[in-house]
Amino acid sequence: MKGHFHITCTRKANGSSYLRRQSFAAPLHLSKPHEDAGALVVNMVSPTAGVFDDDEIDIRARVEAGARLVLTTPSSSRIYRSRNGGYGAVRQAFTVEAGGFLEFYPEPFIPHAGARYRQTNTIAVASDATLLYFEWLTPGRTASGEVFEYAELQWDTDIAVGEKLLLRERHKLTPHDTSLASLRLAWPQAHYLSCCVVCPQISGATMPFPLAEIEALGEGGESGGQGVPDGARPGSRVYIGCGPLALPGSWSIKALCADSLAARATMGSLRGILYAAMGGAPPFLGRF
Amino acid sequence: MADPLHDSAVSLAWLLQVNDSQFPSGAYAHSMGLEELTQRGLIRHAEGLEAFLHQQVIPSLLAFELPFLARAHDAARREDLRALHALDDELEAWKIAAELRQASRQLGSRRLALVHKLEHVTPGEESSRTSGPPSPPPPFPTRYAAAGAPCHHLIICALELRRLPAVAAATAFAHQTLSGYCIAAMKLIRMGQERCQLMIRRAMVEVAPRIAAVAEDSPARIGWFNPLLEIASMRHARAHERLFIS
Repeated sequence: MKGHFHITCTRKANGSSYLRRQSFAAPLHLSKPHEDAGALVVNMVSPTAGVFDDDEIDIRARVEAGARLVLTTPSSSRIYRSRNGGYGAVRQAFTVEAGGFLEFYPEPFIPHAGARYRQTNTIAVASDATLLYFEWLTPGRTASGEVFEYAELQWDTDIAVGEKLLLRERHKLTPHDTSLASLRLAWPQAHYLSCCVVCPQISGATMPFPLAEIEALGEGGESGGQGVPDGARPGSRVYIGCGPLALPGSWSIKALCADSLAARATMGSLRGILYAAMGGAPPFLGRF
Repeated sequence: MADPLHDSAVSLAWLLQVNDSQFPSGAYAHSMGLEELTQRGLIRHAEGLEAFLHQQVIPSLLAFELPFLARAHDAARREDLRALHALDDELEAWKIAAELRQASRQLGSRRLALVHKLEHVTPGEESSRTSGPPSPPPPFPTRYAAAGAPCHHLIICALELRRLPAVAAATAFAHQTLSGYCIAAMKLIRMGQERCQLMIRRAMVEVAPRIAAVAEDSPARIGWFNPLLEIASMRHARAHERLFIS
């Protein structure tokens, strides 16, 4: 299946944001957007089961000057077992123009046993625009006993601010080599979270980046519960770090979580802390 | 007429000097995230360190650093300042953890300053500067130092070893990386010098036979996944107590 999801978010004269252009084709669909806390919240919906081998999906979101968009998914993204050895492929290209704001906040990415998948993320942010870009990679369908049983995931990300490449990552994860060792050393079923923040406003002394609050998310028993794995501090189910990227006003946050409950709590807390640092409240995502 | 044996001896002498653990690059002050991993209890003993080297550091060398070094070495060998600068800028974006990024820049800058001085006393460079008008351009390290590049350690290693084959440069870099972790570990976990050397040897035996493949035919897609080390490095920056800068 070859599908796409293309949207352009524009700022109206009254300051609100709307979708000036939208185009989508199965397996993706667009929910009715709503406005909250000064941003347009758009849910990217997949009414199908998920991504199969040889599927190709092209996702593009452009946030025009001064517009504010929250792009999210209402449910997890599932990647199914490859039956013919081929890959499911998703290309995401996001552009945030001058003074614009984009938050990308997906639900968890769940690769099933035997899944083969390639994702490319290309994000261009104007030097005075704001980006919150979240990712959540699960170890698989853990409730069904599938832990890191996918065949191969390739994950390529480039984030540029102005003309400068800010962040580049190329991950190839497979249980057939030691590429998962780092996750497994933390917890046997570790969830991986990351967030790239580009926000020129919170780089100064008057609006400092909330480093201590974010790292404190890893100090306590985030969700309580099960036994502590070898190496983790007692009570802690989240190992989280953050620090500045190479350009002022840009930050990377990464976390490993013991399970989905800890990961969900961390994602939610992180979102609240970042919005509070920007002097606002997180827009309601439209789910309960 | 060039004498290959003479050239090879000069290159070997250069390699031995710049890859010596006593070479004052400042590497002794960095653990590259290892200190936080040991404090966190994720690496507690020599066996854990050895597993970390073989499961995470060596694969990262083979999948990312050495292919990247091969590209940088090619640019440095051609003395293509613009290409080397572009790779240096790109490496800045790959290094997500600030402390690892700054450590790499510190080590590279110190090494470049010394390479610049050392190349002034090599016969080739010296004679080229004293041969009378028209005066030749400054040596490549001098021009690179003035270019305003980030000067990451990997890039400067490629530059200083540009007259050696790419495989030799990659082997030297791999040895520096592995021995850097092992030597730092002696201050962090119960491990003696002999154990340290055995560990470096076993790691080099694992990595050396595979270096030629990545150094001579750099794969198009490079990269490695190690969020644990990145988080460790991010947290180390604000650790309450620490022996190492990184």
